[in-house]
Amino acid sequence: MSAPAPALAKPERRTVAVRLADVAVTVAYLSLVFGLLLVFFPVSFPRIIVHSWQSGNLIVAMLVIALTLDAYLYFRIAYLLSARPTALAAACLGSLPIIVVGGCSILLQSAVAQTLAVDLPNPQARIGEEVLAHTYLGLVSGVFLPFLVIRLLQQFRATNSARQS
Amino acid sequence: MAEWMSVKWLLWISLYLVLGVFVPWATALAWAHQHGSDLRPRPRQLFQRGELGLVGLVLVISVIWNLLQSQYMPQTRALGAVLLAVIGTMAGAVWIETYCRHSTGMASNDERAWRDSRNLAFLVFSVVVVVEILLDRFAKVAAL
Repeated sequence: MSAPAPALAKPERRTVAVRLADVAVTVAYLSLVFGLLLVFFPVSFPRIIVHSWQSGNLIVAMLVIALTLDAYLYFRIAYLLSARPTALAAACLGSLPIIVVGGCSILLQSAVAQTLAVDLPNPQARIGEEVLAHTYLGLVSGVFLPFLVIRLLQQFRATNSARQS
Repeated sequence: MAEWMSVKWLLWISLYLVLGVFVPWATALAWAHQHGSDLRPRPRQLFQRGELGLVGLVLVISVIWNLLQSQYMPQTRALGAVLLAVIGTMAGAVWIETYCRHSTGMASNDERAWRDSRNLAFLVFSVVVVVEILLDRFAKVAAL
């Protein structure tokens, strides 16, 4: 059996190599938008967030934003590099934002419970600020940390394959 | 209206930008002038080996300290401190990796080191600005 002609052989597409610098700019813009909304709408923006938390919609909204941004960033990197997305990265991007945002939500419930348990002045305003801080930290973590994990896994695999070869 | 007029966080971040970026650049120009050199480094040349990542790491340390001193609940302080530490470490890692590559003679791309450190420093700056705004808001609520 003869080898396939070079012109007919399909070129091997490399997999997406995630660099944190590619993700950092988008997360920075997300952060700046949050900051600007806080500066220019210091009352109404936090009120919207607290109302969504009270009605139970905040975690869903955070998940939608984090998952959408993660998918957008990953496919954008794949498109720019003309590289093939991997199942490992897809699994990380599908599960890690849910774990991170869910974890932040548990921490928030715990912080709110502690605020109410300790006899502090002005508890409602304090809870509002706690919700605001957790929303921001949860959003940034939900977008950034999955890419950090993918990056570390890719480096680990590259090191392993280099050692084996 | 009066609340968002508070620009303490803006002055604070400007201090870091001036001392961390502008002063080293001005010092390099002053050195060139003093020694009669034609050297006119642009900030990009001065920080081409990822030094902006180090500036970001130093900035993060001070914000973690501010966060730990705040009256937020321990869960919030822990979450913020860990996130800031991770971002700062990643920014600092760009400088470390470039240094290691140069020191061991491995292939190094200064263009990529500059781009990575600039992007991660931008992330650090944007995150610490928002954390300082949140800290400022919480301090006002706690003082009521």
